Amino acid sequence: MGTRIYLGELEELVLLMVSLLNKEAYGVSITDELKKQTGREITISATHAVLHRLEEKGFVKSKLGGASAERGGRRKRLFSITAYGQSTLIDLKETREMIWQAIAKTSFS
Amino acid sequence: MSEPKTPGWVDKIIDAFAPDELAEEIKGDLYELFVNDIQRKSIRYARKKYTFNAIGFLSKRFFWKRDHYSSSNPFVMFGSYFKMARRSLLAYKETSLINIIGLVIGIASALVLLTVIRYEMSFNHFHSDTDRIYRVVRVSGEDMTEFRTGVSYPVPAAFKEEITALQEITSMEYFGGAYVDVMDAGGKSVRMFREDFGCVLVEPSFLKVFDFKETDFRWISGNPEKALVEPFSVVLTESMAKKYFPEGSPIGKALRFEKFFDAKITGVISDFPPNSDFPFTILVSYASLRTIRGEERLKNWFGVSDSHHTFIKLPAGSTSTELEEQFERVHRARTPKDLHTRHYLLQPLKEMHYDARFGTYTGRTISKSTVVGLGLVALFLLITAAINYINLATAQSTLRSKEVGLRKVMGGLRANLAIQFLVETFVIVLLSGILALLVSEVALIQFESLLNLRLVSFHFLDPFVVISLCIIVLIVTILAGVYPSLVISRMNPIAAMKNSFLTNAVGSISLRKLLVVGQFTLTQILVVGTFIVVYQLHVLRTADLGFSADAVITVNFPNTSTYQQTNTVAEQLRSQSFASAVTLSSTLPSGLNRSRSSMGIARRSAQNGNEYKVFEMQMVDPNFIEMFKIKLLAGRNLTEGDSTGNIVINRALMKELELGTDPSSVLGQELKIGQDPVVVVGVVEDYYSNSFKEEAGSIVLLVNRKAYDYCSIKLSATDPEFVRSAINKVERVWASSFPEHIFDYKFLDENVKQFYLQEEKMAKLFQLFSVVFLIIGSLGLYGLITFVVNRKSKEVAIRKVLGAKLGHILIMFSGEYIMLIALSFILALPVAYYGVNLWLTTFVVNRISLQWYLFALPGLIVLVIAILIVIAKSFRTANTNPVSMLKHE
Repeated sequence: MGTRIYLGELEELVLLMVSLLNKEAYGVSITDELKKQTGREITISATHAVLHRLEEKGFVKSKLGGASAERGGRRKRLFSITAYGQSTLIDLKETREMIWQAIAKTSFS
Repeated sequence: MSEPKTPGWVDKIIDAFAPDELAEEIKGDLYELFVNDIQRKSIRYARKKYTFNAIGFLSKRFFWKRDHYSSSNPFVMFGSYFKMARRSLLAYKETSLINIIGLVIGIASALVLLTVIRYEMSFNHFHSDTDRIYRVVRVSGEDMTEFRTGVSYPVPAAFKEEITALQEITSMEYFGGAYVDVMDAGGKSVRMFREDFGCVLVEPSFLKVFDFKETDFRWISGNPEKALVEPFSVVLTESMAKKYFPEGSPIGKALRFEKFFDAKITGVISDFPPNSDFPFTILVSYASLRTIRGEERLKNWFGVSDSHHTFIKLPAGSTSTELEEQFERVHRARTPKDLHTRHYLLQPLKEMHYDARFGTYTGRTISKSTVVGLGLVALFLLITAAINYINLATAQSTLRSKEVGLRKVMGGLRANLAIQFLVETFVIVLLSGILALLVSEVALIQFESLLNLRLVSFHFLDPFVVISLCIIVLIVTILAGVYPSLVISRMNPIAAMKNSFLTNAVGSISLRKLLVVGQFTLTQILVVGTFIVVYQLHVLRTADLGFSADAVITVNFPNTSTYQQTNTVAEQLRSQSFASAVTLSSTLPSGLNRSRSSMGIARRSAQNGNEYKVFEMQMVDPNFIEMFKIKLLAGRNLTEGDSTGNIVINRALMKELELGTDPSSVLGQELKIGQDPVVVVGVVEDYYSNSFKEEAGSIVLLVNRKAYDYCSIKLSATDPEFVRSAINKVERVWASSFPEHIFDYKFLDENVKQFYLQEEKMAKLFQLFSVVFLIIGSLGLYGLITFVVNRKSKEVAIRKVLGAKLGHILIMFSGEYIMLIALSFILALPVAYYGVNLWLTTFVVNRISLQWYLFALPGLIVLVIAILIVIAKSFRTANTNPVSMLKHE
């Protein structure tokens, strides 16, 4: 893997949630899912901030979705992972697995 | 399901700051959580959480981030403008400093002048119906050229009696200085004071006509209706009451005036405001006049005390001309023919402070044209300071062409650039304005007496000053900033980037030259004018008065003194070696502070009033003429044996009575003063009893032992040590005759100089402002030449390599400026000539003639200063080794 990937730990988690939720990822659902999966509770504004950063870096893309009554008739912004986002996640995972294998051979033997 | 309500204000904040889409998305998410929270917990918790979450958004950077390219509004860059202003201020330190110094001096001077103007314009404006209050003034002489303020004692009562419409009329007699003793209950003097001014007799109606309504004036104690009704009652101002009775209430206590009469204190009032022409501190009831002056004087229509003033309030529905006609009627009905050359006219109170012909009790007036002149100076100062800025800013624009080019290439609009430079100007002007406020405060305190100001508080707390400062800052910003910012923003970006223009393409040199000329024209007008004013005053100060005032000290006797006492003092002084001569007289030969008495004289055969000529009577002892070195043209000096029927007249009176041109032919001439016969025994040369603003007046000298009020002592030496010990000895002599009176003396020559006190002050002021103009102009020139020298350093180097000498290069730099300053001198000449000529007409005698060198010399001085600046600055460049300037590339 050539270039460095600028993806923070929280950013990585949120990006994982976006791909997990697939088509239903937006501020509230991501916050809820994050809590469910990892037990981490973050504020809704923090989620939005992370999503903005991810979008700026090109890991996710977004579009405005349909309105619903429980949102007071307001539309939500739905996020989906981009191909670059996917490959980045896979890259990260592979790098880690590679390192884990190396660790398994040495320290944890 | 009823709609749960979210906190409305939170939604509003989000709507206000976020673009629509973002707001919708955020509010949607917040609402979802809100509904969840209501179901899980309570509505209260949900609302709190809603607010908390929303505030979370406000703290996030993405919430505030905007698309840069969506707006073409130049004000978006507002913060950046200030940042750039600060940077360029620091980047061009020398220019900034020159600009700021120039602006600070200009704005501070303008603020000082504005304060002075406002103060002078505020005089006597605070009474109710100020427009209807008039002063009765006396104009006499056949050609109505004698302007005086005094009104004969019976006049006001007669006016009131015969003119029924005239209801409000109030008279006063101002004594000025007085001896005041504080008395105890047993009638013994406890403390003695000598007041130099402020003592006056007023009618109870004084404080009705002059109610000081728009000031803080009030009665502190006493009954306003009754306090000044009884004879010998006195009302003190607060500060006087504190001075005399620091321990308690002065009401009911007694004061003794002039060791002569006692008066009971019946009231205390607050001090009069400083911008009043009534400098009164001790107000004695007018009813006391009968006793003080005597019944006879009060019936006399002839005699006039110039400090007896009458004011009236114009009755509703009549005009001042109508009233003047009524005055004329009453006056003619009650006086014999020879007094019909006298007229009583009305002068509006509002003009009192500005009309030097009549004067005021404070002895100070200021003409409206002087006030306008001060305003113009303030305006010109601001203009010169602004011109400096314009010149330096346009000159500097070439240095900043790369910045401007780059900004334009990167998409900066012309408006953006113009605003950027305007903001830069604003920052500099504002900074200067704040500094100027401090400087002007210091200057006001420093020059308080020079400016005739009486400061009551710090002026930077005054809303008027702060508002004026804001207006000045705005005007100067626009004046100084608009043109440079337009020039700079107009630059073609490509040309600017290439820096292809050097000195002549930008900021049109011709305009800069024009501004330099304008600036120096103003400076030269002031410098030339000041030079001539100072020279004229020098001439007046050293001019021949017709008598000798050198080394003469004068003492004023108390009103109650007898010839016995005055003669004793004179004899005792004559016996001492420090006095080379001593004389007693009713008045002094000249000086601002002296008493004057005028009467009419005519040939014995005269029948009509218009044959009488007004003259000044000076009653003197036989030493007077000799001691003051007054030149005797014919006849003899006065002797002790002379009665009041033997008189010495001066040449002016001889001419006025048409007694011929040969003084010796006048001897023995029989004349009459009023109805009393007199004979001329001598003729003296004219001497100037009044200022050089008037011709030498007609004077009669005669011996009258009862009338001596002054003792003049000529000292035999003038070194300070000698003078001091002599004064001590005079005081001892005084104390032996007048133990109860505080000794006070004056130098006669200083008293004479008092005539020109206001002119001297004005001259000092003009000197000050000439220097200020010169400094601002020089600063601007320095800045410009610095810039030109820097730009031309390579040219200089090449010229030197090709053989130019130092002198040539200096001439190259200074030649242009010499031309500009010479041009401005030529432009300044007619204006300066006109102004100076106008001012000089106030002096009738010893007026200087306007020689060419009086203009050339100050012009030359300015030119030399300018050349020195240019040469000093260009010398280093011209002297540098050309290699070091050329090798950079």
